[in-house]
Amino acid sequence: MERRIILDPGQWIAFMVVAVGAMIMLGPFYFMFVFATHSNTDILSVPPPVWFGGQFVANVQVLLEKLPYFWNNLGVSFYVAIITTALNLFFCSLAGYAFATYEFRFKNLLFMIVMSTLLIPPFLGMIPTTLIMTLFGWMNEPRALYLPMACSALGVFLMRQYISSAIPRELLEAARMDGCGEFATFRHIVLPLTGPAMGTLGLITFITSWNNFMTPLVVMRDMEMYTVPLALRALQGSGQVPWGAICAGSSIAVAPLLVIFILASRRLIEGMTAGALKG
Amino acid sequence: MSAVMERRETPAAAPVKSRRRWLTRKTAPYVFISPFFILFAVFGLFPLLFTIYLSFHYWDPSTGLGGMKWVGFENFTFVLTDDWFHKSLYNTFWIALVSGVPQHLAAIPLAFFLHTRLSRWRNAVVGLYFLPFITSTVAISLVFTSLFSRDYGLINVLLTQMGQWEVAGLRPLGWVFPTENIDWNDPGYTKWVISFVVWWRYVGWNTVLYLSALQTIPKDLYEAASIDGASRRQQFWHITVPLLRPMMFLAITLSIIGNLQLFEEPFILTGGLGPGGTSIGGPDQAGKTAAMHMYATAYIESDFGTASAVAWLLFLIIAMMTWANNKAFKEKS
Amino acid sequence: MKIMHALLLSAAMSGSVAAQTVTLEVASFPDLDRGIKAAIPLYQEAHPDVEIKLVSLAFGDHHNAMTTSLATGSNLPDVMAVEVGFIGKFAASGGIEDLSKPPYNAMQYQDQFARFTLPQATGGEGNLAAIPVDIGPGALFYRQDLLQKAGVDESAFSNNWDAFIEAGKKVKEKTGAYMVAHAGDLKDIIIRSDLEDGEGIFFDKENNSLVTSPRFEKAFKVAKAARDAGIDAKVKAWTSEWTEGLRRGQIATQMMGSWVAGHLANWIAPESAGLWRSKQLPDNVYASWGGSFYAIPAKAQHKHEAWEFIRFLALNKSMQLEAFHKLDAFPALVTAQNDQFLQQPIEFLGGQKARVQWKEAADRIPAITVNKYDTIADEIVNAELDKVLLHDKDIKEALADAHKLIKRRVRY
Repeated sequence: MERRIILDPGQWIAFMVVAVGAMIMLGPFYFMFVFATHSNTDILSVPPPVWFGGQFVANVQVLLEKLPYFWNNLGVSFYVAIITTALNLFFCSLAGYAFATYEFRFKNLLFMIVMSTLLIPPFLGMIPTTLIMTLFGWMNEPRALYLPMACSALGVFLMRQYISSAIPRELLEAARMDGCGEFATFRHIVLPLTGPAMGTLGLITFITSWNNFMTPLVVMRDMEMYTVPLALRALQGSGQVPWGAICAGSSIAVAPLLVIFILASRRLIEGMTAGALKG
Repeated sequence: MSAVMERRETPAAAPVKSRRRWLTRKTAPYVFISPFFILFAVFGLFPLLFTIYLSFHYWDPSTGLGGMKWVGFENFTFVLTDDWFHKSLYNTFWIALVSGVPQHLAAIPLAFFLHTRLSRWRNAVVGLYFLPFITSTVAISLVFTSLFSRDYGLINVLLTQMGQWEVAGLRPLGWVFPTENIDWNDPGYTKWVISFVVWWRYVGWNTVLYLSALQTIPKDLYEAASIDGASRRQQFWHITVPLLRPMMFLAITLSIIGNLQLFEEPFILTGGLGPGGTSIGGPDQAGKTAAMHMYATAYIESDFGTASAVAWLLFLIIAMMTWANNKAFKEKS
Repeated sequence: MKIMHALLLSAAMSGSVAAQTVTLEVASFPDLDRGIKAAIPLYQEAHPDVEIKLVSLAFGDHHNAMTTSLATGSNLPDVMAVEVGFIGKFAASGGIEDLSKPPYNAMQYQDQFARFTLPQATGGEGNLAAIPVDIGPGALFYRQDLLQKAGVDESAFSNNWDAFIEAGKKVKEKTGAYMVAHAGDLKDIIIRSDLEDGEGIFFDKENNSLVTSPRFEKAFKVAKAARDAGIDAKVKAWTSEWTEGLRRGQIATQMMGSWVAGHLANWIAPESAGLWRSKQLPDNVYASWGGSFYAIPAKAQHKHEAWEFIRFLALNKSMQLEAFHKLDAFPALVTAQNDQFLQQPIEFLGGQKARVQWKEAADRIPAITVNKYDTIADEIVNAELDKVLLHDKDIKEALADAHKLIKRRVRY
C-alpha cells in the first residue's frame, strides 16, 4: 500500500465519519470522568458540566465513607478476574485444541453442545446457582464466582478457530514422532503458539468477569466480599444517589480495564487473526 | 471436581518424556474437553433442568422450595397467549434489528477502512471504538440518562440549537433538527434510544471481529486483483466480502444471541424498576424486552414457574433464529 | 431464660461456650441503613457482647437477594429490612417468624405503633411478619410563591378535582410551572380515597379485583383531564428531570410521603427554602408512602438477639426520634410521635409546624389490608393508564381490560 498525502473527497468524508464516530464512542467516558470531578448539584444541573471540576477528592471521600470496603471490593474483583482469566486460558485452549486437531467420536455433536450453551438465557440461573453454592458451602467465597465461569463456550470456540488455522498439523505429528506425550505436545508445542489468541481471550474474560453483576449479587453477602459493580450498585437507593461518588468509583473501576486494554490492544486484534499470516 | 483438576494439572508438571498410558491419542481429546463438560454439568445443566422442572410448576420463591405446585403445561399456554409476552417479543425483535443491522453495516466498512487506510493509528482508533464494550453499565447508564434528559440533556441542547439557528429570521435547519426539546422517554423514542446505546456498545466489538478476519486475507490476492485492473470497490465486493463470510456468520450469530437476550441496557435506560418497583420498560412498556419480561415475571410478580416458561420459549426462539441464520449462510455459499 | 437462650445459641454457633460474642447480621438498603449505622454504637454500649454486621444493597437488589435467600432457605440474615411494598409477599411466604407468637408476643405492643402499620405486616393467616420502624404519612407540598403569583389559593386543594385542574391551568399560564410532576400521581391519590379499615386498594377479601369500581374510574378521569389540560410535567419521581424541575420551580406541587420535605431541603431544592408549604392531601385522602419494617427469617441464627435489636430500633423512643431528626424518617412509634420535637417549626416550610399535621394524617390513615398480588395489580393499572394517557384509550375499556388482565395473572 503506497502512502498518499493527497486524499480525494470521498476519503476525506470517510476520515471525518470515522473521527466523528470515535468522538461518539468516547463521549460517555469523557462525561463519566468529568462527572467524577463534580458535586451532585452540578451534575444534575443544566446544562451539565462539560469540563473537569475540583470535586474528585471529595467524591472519593464520599465513596469511601459510604463504601468503607471499596478497596477490598477492588481486590476481590481483581482476584476473581485474574483467576477466572487464568483458568479460562488453560481450559479453553485445552478444549479448543482437542476440537481443532483430534478426530474422535461425537466430536461434532459435543462441539454443538458447547456452542448451544451460548443460547441459554442467563437469568433464571440466579436461584439454582444460589442452591448449588449453598450446597457446596461456597457462599461469600470467590470460587463461587470464578469456577462457574472457568471455561467459557466462546473461549473454546475462539481457541478452536485459532488453533485449527494457526498450528500446522505436521508440527504436531513431528512432535509425536519425537515421543512427545499428548499433554506434552499441547504444553510445549501448542501453548507457546497460541499467544495472540490467548491475549484476546484473556482480555475478554477479564472484562466479563470484572463487569459480572448477577452472580455476585446472589452469592456475595458480606460487603467486604462485594465485587466493584455490586458495591457501586449499593449506593443507588431511593432518594439521593451520590452520582459524583458513583462516577468516581466507576472511573477507578474502569481504570484497570483501560490500562490492560492499552497494553493488550495490539494483541487483541492480532489474536483474532486466525493465523493465516503465519501459516 | 478437585480430583479432576489435579489430574489435569499433574501432567503439566511432569517431564516431557514421561508418558501416561491412560492419556492416549484416543482418550486425550475427551480428557481435554472434560473440564468444560464437568463445569457445565455442575453449574449449567443443573440450573437448566431446574428451570425445566420449574416451568411446569407454580412457585412463589419466597415460600421456599416446598412451595411448588404442579400445573402441567399451563404456564406455557399462559405465556403463549399473553399480550405482554407478545409485546415484549415484538420490542426485542425491533431493537435487535434496529441496533443489530447497523452494527454490522458500520463495522464492516469501518474495519475495511481501518485495515486499508490506517496503519500507525489503527490500534488507537480501534481502541476508541472498543471502549464502550469494556465499561460497566452503571456509570454509563447514568451518563446516558443525563445526556438524553428531556429538559436538561446535552443532546437536546445541541439538537435544538441547530434547529433554532437563525439566519435572516429563517431557521434553515429547522426541518432537519427539532426546534423543541424531544421527550426521549416518549414511547415513540424509547426503542430508538435503546437501539442507539446497544449499537454504541457493540459496534467496536464487531469491528474488532471483522478487522481480525480482514488481516487473514492474504495481501497478494489484492495485488493480483490490482494487476488485473480491479478497482478498490471491486476488490471490496469480490475479494473482501466473500472472504469475510465465515466471520460474518460468527459475528451475526453472536449478535442474534446477544440481542435477543438483551436486558441490562434497556432495563437501566428505562429507569430500572422505577420508584414503586412495579413498572418496568418505561411508559407503555415500550422498552420492555423478552428478558425483562422474564425478570418482571420472576421478581415483580414472584411467579418463577411462568418466568421459567418464558425463559424456555425464549431459548427456543433464539435457537430457531440461530438455525435460520445458519441455514441462510449455508445456502448462499 | 433469656441468658440461657443466648448462651445456647452462641454455643451452637461457635461450638464452644467460651466465645460469648454474637455477630448479628442485619440486611438493609439505603437510606434506611443510615439509621442502623447510627444505632450500632448506641446499641453496643448496652450490649458489648453483640457485634452487628450491616449488609446493604440497593433497594431492588436487596429485595431480590432476600427473595432468593427465602427461596433457598439459606444465607438469611438475622434481621431483615423489608419495605412496605414487599411485606405482603414476605408475610405470605412462611419463611418469616410470626412475631405475634411467643417468645416475641409482639401484639402486646400493638397500641404503641401507628394504627395502620401492624395490619400492613399481617399475613393471611393472622401472622405478624414484621415490626414497623418508620412510616410515610402523605402530604401535599406546594410552592406558595408560585400559587400566589398565579392568584390561586389553598382552596384548590379541596375535594374538588376540577378546581385543582383549573388552578393548575392558571399556574401554568401565569408562571409556566407544571401543577404536578405526573398525571399518574393523581391516580395514585384517588385510588386511595374513601378507604375504610379492612378494605384493600386493589382487592376485596375474596381476591376479587376492584379496579372497575368508581374509585378507579374517577382516578383515571382526573389523571386524563390533568394530562389534557397540560398541567403535568410528564416526569416520574426520582428522575433527574423531576429533581431539576423541583429545583427550578417548574413543578408547583408534589404529593408524597412527609419525608420528601427532608429530601427537598437537603439536596433537591435547598435554594427554595421558605417557599414550600405542606398541606393535607386533597379529597380527604390519608395515605402512607413507603414505610420500613424489620422481620426475622425463620432460619435466622440469632433470633433472640435479632429481636432485642429490632425492639431497640422500633420501640426505643430516643432511637426513633434520632432517626426522625436525622433522616426525616417519620416514627412509627406513637410515643415518639407525641414528642415535643413535633412542635418545632420547620424553616424550609416557612416555619410551618408541619410535623403536627403529618401526625394528624398518620392517625387517620386507614388500616387497609395488603394483598400479595398488589404489585401485579399496580403494574397492570399503570400499564393501562399509560394507554389512556398516551393513546386516548377509553377509560371504561381500559379498566375492564385491567380487570381481565389481573384476573388472568392472579391465577393461583
